[in-house]
Amino acid sequence: MTTLDLPVRVHATLVTDRRELAPGVVLLGLDAPDVVAATQPGQFVMAIPPSGEAAATALGVYEAEGKRASLLFFVTGNRTRELSELRVGERLDVVGPLGNGFDLSGKPSRVAIVAGGVGIASVLLPAQALVRAGARVQLLYGARTAALLVEAERFNEAGCALALATDDGTTGYHGYVTDLLERLPRVDLILACGPTPMLRAVARIAATLGVRAQLSLEETFACGVGGCWGCVVPIVRTSAQAPRFPPANAGGSDFVNARICKEGPVFWSHELRW
Amino acid sequence: MVETKPSLAVKLGKLRLEYPTLMGSGCYGSGQEFAPFANLNKIGAVVLKSVTRLPRLGNPTPRLVHTPAGMLNAIGLQNPGIDWYLDHEVPKYAKLPWRVVGSVAGFSVDDYAYVCERLAARDEIAAVELNISCPNVASEGETFACDPKLTASVVRACRATTDKTLIVKLSPNVTDIAAIALEAEGAGADALAVINTVRGMSIDAETWHPRLGNVTGGLSGPAIRPIAVLAVYEVARVATIPIVGQGGIETTRDALEFFLAGAAAVGIGTANFTDPRIPERIADELRDYLWNRNLASIGEIVGKANVGFANVYEYEGDEG
Ligand SMILES: Cc1cc2nc3c(=O)[nH]c(=O)nc-3n(C[C@H](O)[C@H](O)[C@H](O)COP(=O)(O)O)c2cc1C
Ligand code: FES
Repeated sequence: MTTLDLPVRVHATLVTDRRELAPGVVLLGLDAPDVVAATQPGQFVMAIPPSGEAAATALGVYEAEGKRASLLFFVTGNRTRELSELRVGERLDVVGPLGNGFDLSGKPSRVAIVAGGVGIASVLLPAQALVRAGARVQLLYGARTAALLVEAERFNEAGCALALATDDGTTGYHGYVTDLLERLPRVDLILACGPTPMLRAVARIAATLGVRAQLSLEETFACGVGGCWGCVVPIVRTSAQAPRFPPANAGGSDFVNARICKEGPVFWSHELRW
Repeated sequence: MVETKPSLAVKLGKLRLEYPTLMGSGCYGSGQEFAPFANLNKIGAVVLKSVTRLPRLGNPTPRLVHTPAGMLNAIGLQNPGIDWYLDHEVPKYAKLPWRVVGSVAGFSVDDYAYVCERLAARDEIAAVELNISCPNVASEGETFACDPKLTASVVRACRATTDKTLIVKLSPNVTDIAAIALEAEGAGADALAVINTVRGMSIDAETWHPRLGNVTGGLSGPAIRPIAVLAVYEVARVATIPIVGQGGIETTRDALEFFLAGAAAVGIGTANFTDPRIPERIADELRDYLWNRNLASIGEIVGKANVGFANVYEYEGDEG
């Protein structure tokens, strides 16, 4: 029998630093040069639980520089709790980077990035790449309350203009972060990552403004690599991201299910049917 | 010095597998999705996602919910239908260095026989599994595995279409799984996959909604392992054909439980979502386990813990 190349993309990493940015919000730095080398903005990894007793967790790659990649996440259940309890020097194995990230090839000059809550974890890399390419980047960043607006300063340092919003008014605009998007001077591109209701609002506003938007979708994953069809979203058949498999129905509808983990997690908002 | 390693090879009907591990249907794609992360040199076969006569969009999302020690899924048999599948998907499997087993689902005896015949006719497909036990489709997906007569009809009809190995996948959501197993064997099955997922659901106390788009789903992972071990144990007491034991296997110890209960091979599904290296680890460790005990092959431990059921004594209390 033919033998295959051995697996190369499960990476054993070591925790280099750990910070609790707010109660229940953790930033884990990893010694992970292979992940850094391979990661495109908007991609994610599957973090293998150290106990081996639960499904792996999909986490966006927050930072990737030199030998260090980092993961920023909210503790929302057992699996993220286990990851949050890792200490410096301990090992964390990750699969990835996975998925299709943000498409920055259009050389946009003015970009709005909308981040809601933990969505901030997936937008630092695109923000840095855009600033490096000479774009003016405006970050619109919303959270429940001021304490949860973690890492805002980091985006300032990265060269982004900042506008903050909180649900309770403890900092910045009192209300939805998407309200800020509506009032923004014209941009050529919108990137967004956050809870689904926020993404739907971004899609609606982008359509009204006539600006293209890329959304990093949130969904529960099982395999994370396209093997189970558990994480689908309907997308127009003509999209470059539309999988050839499978057709939506026998009648030949104009949309197909795309896997968020494989064809996504980032999609053009005008190509989604949701 | 010649060192003969213990053999992990297993035969399911005519199908000989180098390793006694099958990647669970619907969990592993065709294997190509996992090939960059897992060592597919060390698996027996990949069971493909179930395919039906007509295309199916599948269930609304969410289709997955993580639950304690496992997960619920309700994919709803999303698949392109057998025509498109044979034209566009199956040809890709010709080049794969690992074995693929087709999986058939349906809504009538005729559906099963039709899809089974066309699938089994293809050289790329090493064997066929009949998924008569999918809990996630609104109409009758699981009815077949819950009714001994229907089980027999489906298996008999499919048996008539092919000489390739037929594996019949049984549901745990029945009163007497051994009775169903006997019907499948009598109708010509070469092997039995025991078990498919256990029906379950989860409700969000904040939104007052069921968490799955399909409302109900199938539970998999370690949460169902004891249920699966018992099912294998019960089936092994009556069936003479090989059993592919599955349900919550994550470690070599888990796999051993199934072999000792009477499984000739094991299925690994949900564990691949925990760590894609698990199948390789289990293969290596099974070999070590046999080696350390001076056993020549995995077959030597099959059913070794199957001692029947404990006698039930009626306790006669002291009178007076
Ligand atoms: C996401 C998912 C999709 C599945 N799809 C199928 C399927 O299409 N056909 C089938 O026969 N079994 C399907 N199963 C059942 C598995 O093949 C396996 O029998 C079951 O999950 C128990 O094993 P496990 O605990 O190792 O996953 C699916 C399971 C999961 C978790
Ligand atoms: S999580 Fe399995 S296909 Fe996306």
